[in-house]
Order: sequence, then structure tokens, then C-alpha cells
Amino acid sequence: MFVEMSDAALVQCIADGRHEAEAEMCRRMGPRIRLYGLRHLRSSSAADDLVQQVLLKTLEALRAGRLRDAVKLAPFVLGTCRMTVLDLRRSRERQEQLLEEFGRVLIPVQSHAAPLDGGRLARCVAALKERERSVVVMTYYDEISAIETGRSLGISEANVRVIRHRAIKRLRACMEAVA
Amino acid sequence: MTRQDETSATTCHAPVDPAVLADYWLGVLSTAEEEAVESHLFECDACGERLRDIIEIAEALRALAHSGALRVILGDTFIRHVEQTGRRVRQYDFVPGQIVPCTISADDDLLVARFAVDLSKAERVDLSFRDPQGVERGRMNDIPVRTNAGHVIFQESATFAKAAPSSSMVARLLAVGTDGEERLLGEYFFQHTRTISGPPGWE
Repeated sequence: MFVEMSDAALVQCIADGRHEAEAEMCRRMGPRIRLYGLRHLRSSSAADDLVQQVLLKTLEALRAGRLRDAVKLAPFVLGTCRMTVLDLRRSRERQEQLLEEFGRVLIPVQSHAAPLDGGRLARCVAALKERERSVVVMTYYDEISAIETGRSLGISEANVRVIRHRAIKRLRACMEAVA
Repeated sequence: MTRQDETSATTCHAPVDPAVLADYWLGVLSTAEEEAVESHLFECDACGERLRDIIEIAEALRALAHSGALRVILGDTFIRHVEQTGRRVRQYDFVPGQIVPCTISADDDLLVARFAVDLSKAERVDLSFRDPQGVERGRMNDIPVRTNAGHVIFQESATFAKAAPSSSMVARLLAVGTDGEERLLGEYFFQHTRTISGPPGWE
């Protein structure tokens, strides 16, 4: 029943004290929060912590009926993510309090299922053009900027981006083709 | 619009371009672009799934780049960066015509050759590898070069080098004209000595 429910209806159910709706909200928002956490915190465990913190804050707000516009659940959660990442280094005391209060309705967010075939990816990377391979290695080794990469390879910053996009497109096609 | 419409993989009406998602992951979008992507991702699980695929490839590429297993042309700043992060880079400097004894140890992370060369009059440059009998065993076509660099930095596969038996190889940098004519820019001689045991039967 709750799976098909809109965000707005879900928010209303949570405000009405329906605990199953809380579980659905966590299932729905958890993976999105985790992606945000991976992007901004660059660590699976930190992203998992963020999921927990943001869901706790969201549940607290929803139970208290503090979300004025029920259709704005997603923007509310995104805003909470942004604030939480900014506050991440602050005391964990509050989190522990919330965990005690709401911990039982949290469900773990599943990470991506099958791991990518590293051998296959290596073959696809080896098949790239030389410039593409150089740009990909230098970019993804430690996220070295397009300016630096271009400067040391004699390629303009704009061209590094074009080459990188083309390389990623080729790699995705190669991975799908041999899958 | 129902939630199903918003989140289904097949019904996202404005999917985010994979190139934009890749840039988002690398953190190279403007603030406004990044905020727009994040707002979309919090409404659309289909694009979230695409981003997960891109993250998976990005992380695997990172691991592959760290493994040192690729043959690839690199830049100076990259090598400096790798050294500053505490990784072991075994480097050999070559001048044209020089024979350089080389090896790799088990705890080296990257194996790099720096070929001194004048690239000022070269438009396209290939890097060719020959065995001591002069038979070409591989070629890297149209490698990226900085014309005023004075050198080319080549990363040999550390995985290959750690397993390979003692052997000799010749690397040749070639300027290739628009008509396909080749001009030798430099020839460099590797004399590799195996110092760690390799796989059985590869001698």
C-alpha cells in the first residue's frame, strides 16, 4: 500500500503516526541520500552514516509535522543532506539520542548488487585511444583536474573534458557489449 | 505526475546526460548545475541508478589506475602527485640511443620510463616497441605529447613487468606525417632483469 503512495501522502501518514509509512519513506529516500553522501563524503561508511543521520532528522521533523508543504519531501531531505554534511564534524551526541528514539524503524540501504568485472574493464580501457586512456587514468587516479591533466599532456582543458566524456561513453558501451 | 512516473527507469522524461553525471561525480560542475542535478536525483531513482553505474565505473577506474597495470602515457604533474601521495614510482630516464638496465621490485607501484626527445616539429607521435630482432611487438598510436616538454613519460604495466622474464626491448618514438611517412625521433633500449620470481614456464 505505502509503496505506491506519493511522497505527499506518505508525509501525511507519518504525521498521523503510521509507522509503516516511516519505513517506506526510509526505503525510498535512503538510496538517494547514500548517493549524495558518496558524492560529497567519498566514503561508503561515511555515506551510510549520513543516510542514518538524515533519515533520523527527517523522521523527527515528519513526526512532529514540521514539513509545511507535504509535496516537498525530496527537497526537504536534500536540504537536510546539505546541512548534515556541513555539520558532520560536530558532536554525535544528538545522533545518539535520535538513534535511541527512532532506531527501530531504520532499515539498511542495500549497496549496488553485482561488482563490476575489473578484468573486463581493464580490457576496455586498453582498447581506448591513447589520449583517452591517458586522460582517464590521470582523471580518475585521484581526480586530478582537467586543467592539470591538459597542461601536462598538451591538451586544452575543454578538450580534456570532451576526451573524458567520449572515453566514458566508449567504456560504458564496451562494458555493455561484452556483458 | 505519480511517484511511479517520476521514478521509473523507463519514464524519466528528462534524464540527466551521463556526461553530466560523470562530471557531477568528479565535482567539476558549477554550483548551479550541481544543485540542479541533486534536485533531480532526489526525485528520480532512474537517474540515481545511472549515477550508481557511473560511480561503479569511476571507482573501478581508480583502482585500475592505482594498480599500475596499464600501459599509458602520463604527464609530469601526475607523476609528482603520485610520489607526493607516498606511492613508489620506479623511474628510468632515457636519452636516445642509450641502453638502460632496468628492473622492478615487488613493492614498486608504478614503473615509468622518461624518454628525452625533441618534439618541437612533430605533429603526430607514435610509440613503437620492437624486440631485439627488429620485429614490432606493439604500437601506441598518436600519443598525447606537449611539444615543448622535451620528453615523453611512458608507464609500463607494473603487473606485466613484475611477471616478465629478463629480456630486452627497443622503444622508438616516431613522428608520423599526414601522408603516413615516419621519422625516427629517438630509439631507447631497455634491458630488463627479473629480480622477483615470475610465473612458472615464462622464461
